[in-house]
Amino acid sequence: MSRFFFDGEPIEAQPGDTVASALYRAGRRIFTRSFKYHRPRGLLCLSGHCPNCMMNVDGVPNVRACVTPAREGMRVRHQNAWPSLEQDWLSAAQHFDSLMPVGWYYKTLTHPSAWHVAEPWIRKVAGLGDPPPPDAPPREYEHAFLQAEVAVVGGGPSGIAAAFEAASGGAQVILIDDQPEPGGHLRYTRPGEAPASIAQLRGQPNVELLARAYCFGLYEGGLLGVLQADPHPGAHERLVHLRAKRVVVATGAYEVPLLFENNDLPGILLSGGARRLLFLHRIVPGRRCVIVGIGARAEDLASDLRGAGIEIVSLISPDEVLGAVGSTRVEGLRFRGGSVTCDLIVVCGPLLPDAGLLSQAGARLAWSAAHGAFLPADLPPHVTAVGRVTGSGLEPAVPLPPGEVRAGKRHFVCLCSDVTSQDLVDGISEGFEHIETLKRYTTATMGPCQGRMCQLPAIGICARETGRTMGETGTTTARPPSPSVTLGALAGPRHHPVRRTPMHYQHEALGAVWLDMGAWKRPRYYRTAESSEERRCVQGEYQAVRERAGMIDVSTLGKLEVRGRDAGRLLDKVYTNRFSDLRPGRVRYCVICDDAGIMLDDGTISSIADDHYFLTTTTGNLEFVEQWLEWWLAGTGWDVHITNLTGGLAAVNLAGPQARDVLAGLTGLDVSAKAFPYMACRQALVADIPAILLRIGFVGETGWEIHVPAESGEDLWKALLEAGKAFGIRAFGVEAQRLLRLEKQHVIVGVDTDALTSPYEADMAWVVKLEKNDFIGKAALSRAAGDPREQLVGFVMQEDGVPDDGSAVVMDGRPAGRVTSSRFSPREGRAIGLAWVPAGLAGEGAEIRVRVQGRPLLARVTRRPFYDPEGARLRM
Amino acid sequence: MTQLFGNNRMWRSHELKKSYDVVIIGAGVHGLATAYYLGKEHGVRRVALLDKGYLGSGSSGRNTAIIRSNYRTPEGIPFYDASVKLYEDLSRELGWNVLFSQCGHLTLAHTDSGVAGLRVRAENNQLLGVDSRLIYPEEIRRLVPSMYLGAGQRYPILAALYHPPGGIIRHDAVVWGYARACDRMGIEIHPFTEVTAIRVENGAARSVVTTRGEIAAGAVLNATAGWASTISAMAGVPLQIVSHPLQACVTEPLKPFLDKVIVSATLHVYVNQTDKGELVIGAEIDPYQSYSTKGTLPTLEQMATYTLELFPQLHGVRVLRQWAGVCDMTPDFAPIIGAAEDVSNFYMDVGWGTYGFKAGPAAGKYTAEMIATGKTPKIIEPFSPSRFRTARLVGEKAAAAVSH
Repeated sequence: MSRFFFDGEPIEAQPGDTVASALYRAGRRIFTRSFKYHRPRGLLCLSGHCPNCMMNVDGVPNVRACVTPAREGMRVRHQNAWPSLEQDWLSAAQHFDSLMPVGWYYKTLTHPSAWHVAEPWIRKVAGLGDPPPPDAPPREYEHAFLQAEVAVVGGGPSGIAAAFEAASGGAQVILIDDQPEPGGHLRYTRPGEAPASIAQLRGQPNVELLARAYCFGLYEGGLLGVLQADPHPGAHERLVHLRAKRVVVATGAYEVPLLFENNDLPGILLSGGARRLLFLHRIVPGRRCVIVGIGARAEDLASDLRGAGIEIVSLISPDEVLGAVGSTRVEGLRFRGGSVTCDLIVVCGPLLPDAGLLSQAGARLAWSAAHGAFLPADLPPHVTAVGRVTGSGLEPAVPLPPGEVRAGKRHFVCLCSDVTSQDLVDGISEGFEHIETLKRYTTATMGPCQGRMCQLPAIGICARETGRTMGETGTTTARPPSPSVTLGALAGPRHHPVRRTPMHYQHEALGAVWLDMGAWKRPRYYRTAESSEERRCVQGEYQAVRERAGMIDVSTLGKLEVRGRDAGRLLDKVYTNRFSDLRPGRVRYCVICDDAGIMLDDGTISSIADDHYFLTTTTGNLEFVEQWLEWWLAGTGWDVHITNLTGGLAAVNLAGPQARDVLAGLTGLDVSAKAFPYMACRQALVADIPAILLRIGFVGETGWEIHVPAESGEDLWKALLEAGKAFGIRAFGVEAQRLLRLEKQHVIVGVDTDALTSPYEADMAWVVKLEKNDFIGKAALSRAAGDPREQLVGFVMQEDGVPDDGSAVVMDGRPAGRVTSSRFSPREGRAIGLAWVPAGLAGEGAEIRVRVQGRPLLARVTRRPFYDPEGARLRM
Repeated sequence: MTQLFGNNRMWRSHELKKSYDVVIIGAGVHGLATAYYLGKEHGVRRVALLDKGYLGSGSSGRNTAIIRSNYRTPEGIPFYDASVKLYEDLSRELGWNVLFSQCGHLTLAHTDSGVAGLRVRAENNQLLGVDSRLIYPEEIRRLVPSMYLGAGQRYPILAALYHPPGGIIRHDAVVWGYARACDRMGIEIHPFTEVTAIRVENGAARSVVTTRGEIAAGAVLNATAGWASTISAMAGVPLQIVSHPLQACVTEPLKPFLDKVIVSATLHVYVNQTDKGELVIGAEIDPYQSYSTKGTLPTLEQMATYTLELFPQLHGVRVLRQWAGVCDMTPDFAPIIGAAEDVSNFYMDVGWGTYGFKAGPAAGKYTAEMIATGKTPKIIEPFSPSRFRTARLVGEKAAAAVSH
């Protein structure tokens, strides 16, 4: 025995109970209110298919109570009814149904102002459950990845037999079953007669049973999406990605309601629902029962219900039924030639093959008049179907489509959205004759049951009204996931990787304030003992670099090694400038363009030896550049090997007028300007760590980019800090770097350029060597060379104010360009920046208007770097 | 009210005639809107709309129905703004409620560069008269109280571009409304009529061969999506288009908790809640080219992951359906509208990538004007097919990619 709470009231549950069965046992008959008319709805299928028992369980809305095991302490609440399920004020809506025929909302409120008033009210009454607030406690979900030679979907008699057969042949089998125990419909049609094959199956070591699991998608490549509930106490649900060489679909059949007036009243159960209550939960569902059905299935049911002490008042053929009587629950049944009182109607509804998975996987659904159902045909090669899903063993309880489907306003076809047979007939007469448009117009089949309950009657009505056959009318497209899946299970555990550089904890100790750059964390700036204000800290870092020495962690740069006889040839082909003539020991700036001449990335290429290059890329583009090189290498037969060294190397940029002094104290290498000039590279020990040193200068000072093995990154960092102490060295972050490079007008690809920028427009014609034999983008760049429409230029504000990045450049009140980067330059005493302007405004000294807080302020174009335009300091 | 209770037919079916003044291939929102404005504003009513499937079976029924005009370029902004204005009045004009909910549209930025990108749009929008501005977490929290802006987010929300006139629409209703209006003007809609060839004689498109016979045409318009390049190829007109699937999914209905459209390019996801209560979630385009309209599991997982980053409380909400549409991507993320350069009588309104639905009315209006008058309206000039030859691309990528 356990106890849970429904709307605050304690409910006793017995072992094996679901939330729904315990509530039914406790006397509850109304479980939900319907979507549109707020009609009372009670248990119907007890198999998780219909929408009639959706409740809020522990804060989660729209939970099917009939397949949710009752657990101690659960908090269950009703939804979509106010104040209670018994007394729902919105149920008044059913009295106004004549004002709400199918598609009424398209035909009314066509004036925009009327619609704006009405829409919020319509929203309010629509919807089912309430989602929890954003700070509600999360739940654990997990992902698993399994493989099998044979996956069997469905643990009924056919699935068990198929699994056993495959296992006996030696195959490794996974059997997926959505019930707590295998056995399928036998568990409630022939209780107590567990087939011997279940025990045999359990003895097979090469069969794994996934219980309480269902397959919701058969995807390409033999991938099955499987959802397992409560895999272990630490996880709420587990999504299994199952790859199987062969798939056996044994999903069986499900039962759907019949169409008659008030066919949705509480107290009307499908035969499977009544049997589940009786045999799985030992609940006697009523006292006076009418069975709607014919043939052996109805007779068997009558005998089983009688055995439980239920009085079977009458057994009526579906053709004879006119309607159920009652307002909030069943009180009787009207049929041709009479009526009868009862408190329970059990409907032997048509059994339909559960072929959605097969249809998803590409099978055709063919109408079979003999079965009264669409049966799967033309299965994909790796998929087979067995048992009732193929139609075998199914006899239609009634001829389908029903001999006479009555158009009625209380004949509910779609329980999820309250679509009646009248609605469908009306929609068809308005011109929605195709089953797909009928679906979209009436919303039948689009609700939580995913069309299980309503698709066949909808097709039947459509066929009859349009004079077509069922086969001609056809089905709507089956789409995954079916059954539905929670977002939590799909998302899995909340893993969002963070990349940290080898010096991460050094930065933290120095007071770094972090910046997200892709998956990386980089120091934006460092707080100091004096201040944590960004502007002051950045200025301090800036001054250190300009006046003394600074160091920045550039480990996030992409780093690639390109080796082989044809390495230079590949680089010549992919980059716009030439590398085959780069002498060992030299570095060159590099740009990649696509075939339209658009700049994709930049970096440096160092020649280590004639057949050995060391490349850096921007932080965000490493994966792209690596793939791009591999792509253009593919099929050439060239001798080139590309190795990604990014994670294996740490890097520091040391820069400033005294950087040389700092470095000299740590290495035996001659770092004089003569021995190690600008744009040279060397390999040497720095602080006893083997390093590649590039003499380059993004920030405009004498500097070195020092690459060392990642595991030595921290040692290098500490050694540089220590050696730099005497010179007043400071660690600087990305923000100071942005300002420093801006004074040099150095472009950051992807920040200052966009998806249409060519090197000409970015004022970087010098990186394009059109005289080269061929390279990616040459044709486009040859055409573009003389004629840029826009130009990236430097500018200095002539009025007070610092434009935000992205501010507009305006001309006559219209947008004419944009600021890509702008900062206050301590050196200039004003804001400086880079901006896109029309070619006509790109001349030196041209006046432009830049919007600052909405006001167009004067700025002047300058194409010369603000700082050290000749680059003398770089070469010192 | 009589309309409400009477079952008036929306449209009629017709035998295919031997010839029409204009034959429009594709009866989605673009084709229908073009036909509607041809009939209404230019009196051209001998028009046939051909579609290989049922009405609205293509991208018009597969998009996530987001309407907005907060684009990036001075070419794109006025065009989409014209479209939003036509949508605002469409229900009244057609006498058919297309359920346009101007609930407001938020594009989130999670990085510095993201904020700068949104600022470019805000600035250009404001200068061109579109209501759009940058807002920051405090205001975002007030506008969208159900979104998680608390601690522990991997990519915290730094700012958003708020576009109050943006919103969502009932896409099928737009298709049906235009179709009904076309039918009433005598324009013929022919579903299940697939085009198999286009006959070009002496450099001019003369007729269209369909699965129901050949029809002569005074002018032929390719208004297809997903297969635009194959249709144009029938007339011998090559297009700079590659086709990628775009996936989306929808959940079970919930009580209203989100009345804004939320878009995040960093998280590759966009989310809104329909009037019925369902959550509609879309992804970015698949990274590979394909004509498949079937959903894949990895993309569904990605959509769920990112939705839960923004709305972690929705973990127990169930996805009902997942589908894909095919998007015709141009190199500059802007459409191709205009007369073919080398084949006369052949017009195109194609290459709508992931942003075609919101453009339907304006594209239709100006395409109709172009066909009826023989002159290209200024507002669609930047989208001319010749721009790929003259290298005058539009550059809408930053605002169009992901941000549907």
